[in-house]
Amino acid sequence: MTAQVSTRIRSMAALEELLERSGANAAIIASRDGRPFAEKTRERIGVESGRLAAMASSLAALGDGVLRELSSGALDHVLIEGSGGKFVVCRIPGPHNALVLAVHAGASARLGLVLGQAKACAQTLGTLITVRTETAPRS
Amino acid sequence: MVESYKVVFIGEPGAGKTTCVAALSDIEPITTEVPASGELALMKDTTTVAFDYGEMALEGGERLLLYGLPGQERFSFMFEVVRHGLLGIIVLVDASSAHALDGLRETLKTYAKELEHLPWLIAVNKARDSADSLRRACQTLLFQSRLIAPIVTVDARKRESIAHMFEILFTLLEYGDERSREQELLA
Ligand SMILES: Nc1nc2c(ncn2[C@@H]2O[C@H](COP(=O)(O)OP(=O)(O)OP(=O)(O)O)[C@@H](O)[C@H]2O)c(=O)[nH]1
Ligand SMILES: [Mg+2]
Repeated sequence: MTAQVSTRIRSMAALEELLERSGANAAIIASRDGRPFAEKTRERIGVESGRLAAMASSLAALGDGVLRELSSGALDHVLIEGSGGKFVVCRIPGPHNALVLAVHAGASARLGLVLGQAKACAQTLGTLITVRTETAPRS
Repeated sequence: MVESYKVVFIGEPGAGKTTCVAALSDIEPITTEVPASGELALMKDTTTVAFDYGEMALEGGERLLLYGLPGQERFSFMFEVVRHGLLGIIVLVDASSAHALDGLRETLKTYAKELEHLPWLIAVNKARDSADSLRRACQTLLFQSRLIAPIVTVDARKRESIAHMFEILFTLLEYGDERSREQELLA
């Protein structure tokens, strides 16, 4: 088994665990330019992974920009909450900041739980994904 | 309050949307560039994932607010950021690309609804010469798609070259106003 294949399998397991622990509907790992790398969904959320990844990367970039303007350090996460659901985008720590984790949860999921589990999962993914993946940008 | 007008650049990745906004803006443009990955990385280092923003002073003291969107279809939701109060759309075509027409076709499809309701034009960028054959091909594509729009050639890196586009856009706008007034009178 190649390193890339095992990284993917372990990433999928981490996403699975995130969904179970947080009650979220979908979790996706996306490159910073909005391409899906791995995803796990519990129910059809009616959005294709490409668009989900694109939205995650846009939000992360806007978050980065706002923090830069306000001299407020590096991005940790962006949170959006609506009457019918939540969307969290977390930076996955890594040498190139090449990936983000996006989580979608319904109205009934608890915000603190979703956010906490998403952040923990991003940390785990950061230690897992150390090899250059096919979606990582060239340096 | 200073009058301001909002225009947006769309078009395939690498067409020159970010370059255009940067060339025209007289404030430091806001950009959301990240390293490109996959196939796109072979072509360019960075790509826009949210939007570009710049401002340009017009002669009458008004301000032109310039937005550049990402090129890929999956980012089309970003149009919501610019939709309100939008004056017109500039569709950039990359003359140096072997797939320029496919790129244009894709863009026209993605933003079909938006193009129906607003003044817009096609700007052929990165042309080595007058790009007559590409312009004709664009014309044919428009005809087949039952669309009508002016086609101009620009150099996105040069401010004076792109300023011409806005004159056309403003002309379209005035004509559009006339037409809706006529329709009101007829109604
Ligand atoms: N020769 C030539 N090159 C140009 C011209 N305009 C832009 N370029 C180059 O073409 C590339 C265009 O890149 P961008 O402006 O980032 O393109 P974009 O449309 O914003 O692309 P995405 O954000 O990825 O969708 C840059 O490398 C520019 O230097 C032009 O008029 N002539
Ligand atoms: Mg761009």
